[in-house]
This record gives sequence, C-alpha cells and structure tokens, in this order.
Amino acid sequence: MSHRRQTGSAAVWSLMLFTTLALFATTLYAIFVVAPVEQRMGIVQKIFYFHVPSAYAMYIGFGASAVGSAGYLLKRDPKWDALGVAGAEVGTLFCLIVLLTGPLWARKAWGVWWTWDPRLTTTLLAGMVFAAYLALRSLGDAGEVEKRFAAGLALFGLVDLPLIHYSVQRWRGVHPTVITGKGGGLESEMYWALGLSFVAFTGLAALLIWARASVERQRDETARLKLELMHR
Amino acid sequence: MRALIAAFVLGFTMLVAPMALAEDPPSEPGAATSDVPKDAAEERATQFVGVRGPDTESVPGGALLLAAYAIVWVLLFLFLMRIRGLQRHTAEELERLSAEIRASGSR
Repeated sequence: MSHRRQTGSAAVWSLMLFTTLALFATTLYAIFVVAPVEQRMGIVQKIFYFHVPSAYAMYIGFGASAVGSAGYLLKRDPKWDALGVAGAEVGTLFCLIVLLTGPLWARKAWGVWWTWDPRLTTTLLAGMVFAAYLALRSLGDAGEVEKRFAAGLALFGLVDLPLIHYSVQRWRGVHPTVITGKGGGLESEMYWALGLSFVAFTGLAALLIWARASVERQRDETARLKLELMHR
Repeated sequence: MRALIAAFVLGFTMLVAPMALAEDPPSEPGAATSDVPKDAAEERATQFVGVRGPDTESVPGGALLLAAYAIVWVLLFLFLMRIRGLQRHTAEELERLSAEIRASGSR
C-alpha cells in the first residue's frame, strides 16, 4: 500500500514538474515575443512578469508556513512542522527574488535603487520575520520549544501579508498598482504573459514546498531513529 | 543755553542715528554683481533645475533586465542544489541509522 502510494506521489510529482517546465517555456515566449515593450519604461518593464508572480509565490510560501505552524501548534504533528519549515524557506526564497529584482526595475523607473515606500518596507519586514524563523530553526536540531517559538513567529509574519497587499491602496507611495488599481491596467498580451507566469510560479512554489517538506519529514525520521538508538 | 545745545544734539542724534544704522535695501539679483569680479564662493550653484525633454539620464534597461532574470534563475538553481544536498545527506543518515538499529537488534 505504502509502495503504491509512493509510486502515485512520484507520478504526480513528475507530472507537475513537466507541466511547470512547459509553462515556464510558454511564459518566456509570451514575455519576450508576444507581450509588447512598455512605452515609457522600455524593455526593463519585462522584469514585472517575474517580479509580481514571485511576490505571489512569496505569499504562497509564507501562507503555507503559517498554516503548517498553526497546525503544528494545534496537533503537534511533525508533518505540519515540515510544512511550516518548507513554506518559510520557499517564501523567503521568493521574497529575496522580489527584493532583488524590484530595485533593478526601480533604478530605471524611479531613478533610485530603493525607497521607503510602504509596500517595499512591509515586504522587507516580512522577509526579516521569516529569516528570523529560519535562523531559529537552523540552530542545530530544533527542540520542541524552538519549534513552537518558530511557529509563533510564522503566525506573526502572517499578519504582515495583508499589510503588503493593501499598502498600495491605503497609504501613499510610488509603487505601481496596475493590476489592482484604478489606472489603465495592462494590454491584453501583457495580461496573457502575466497570467501564464502566475500559473507557472504557482506550480513552481508548490513543487518546491513539496520537495522541501518531504526532506524535512525525512530529517524528522532521522532524529527519531537517533533517539531510538540512544535509548537501546 | 546749555540746555538748548543739549536738546539740539539729542534731537539731531535721534533723527540721524536711525538713518545711519539703517541697511541698504537688497539689490536686484545680478545687478550689483555684474561689474564686480566673482570669487570662488560666489560661483557656487544657487539653484537646481530639472531637465525637461529628451536630455534625461540614460539607464541601460537591457542590462538591468538581464541581471533580474539571471538573479531569478541563479537563486532557484542554488535552492534546488540545497534541497538535493539535504536530501542526499538525510538519505545517507537514514541508511546508516537503520543499519545500526538492525545490527543492535540482531545482537
């Protein structure tokens, strides 16, 4: 039964992997061939098609971490803790991508690498909260107290996610709001490229969380076996 | 007589002193300095004017775009390598521990 389940999981994993790779290839074609160059910013605006979906993948990662942490605090099941760790790592990876690609675009669009705009600041804050989570979990084999404290930290970080999302609507700043704002929006080819990129990044985030969580479950199993050997 | 002279001096002082202490009115910008040679301090910029039209700063958009996409792929690759390394290390550790448990069970 377990073997059949493993084979099924491997098949789903492979299917997701090939679908995501095909989606990325199509997305790159849509970005660089189909979508037009933006009139005012020029070619640098094409960073947008990876920058925004990366921010969305960051939400998925941090959201998964918060869900896993809440589950662990309620049930003390290592599977939930593995989801918490995997989500935090994947979310931090995409947060780093957002915080590095954003300034490259801003340099051209705003003339500066960084400005303390509400959306930029709240995104940096989320990255720092989950970096603290990962730093706490990387201090050797995490005990029960460290795991619970880190879970609380992930839930604290979750509070920042709506702040990031609504910061462009509630507070004054310079960050563009072409998708959710009341401006002119995007041209139809741009929407297609962005939509495909969103789907591709969703698949990628899910795959990475899955892979990282399975490794974390194996590490839990290793820790359990070590404990068993010590008590023999 | 002395009182008359004292009153005159006091009155004259009160009339003339404010005029003597009064400052010259500020001259029009550029009018007073047009015939006077400028020293280094006077040549400092006194205002900044924004550039209008096509003569703006040129930032290479293509290089920034390339850097952004390179960052994405490099970070994803490094993360995948990290997962692979962790997976390999954990699998080896699991194998070793399982063997130790089997060995201790058969004793």
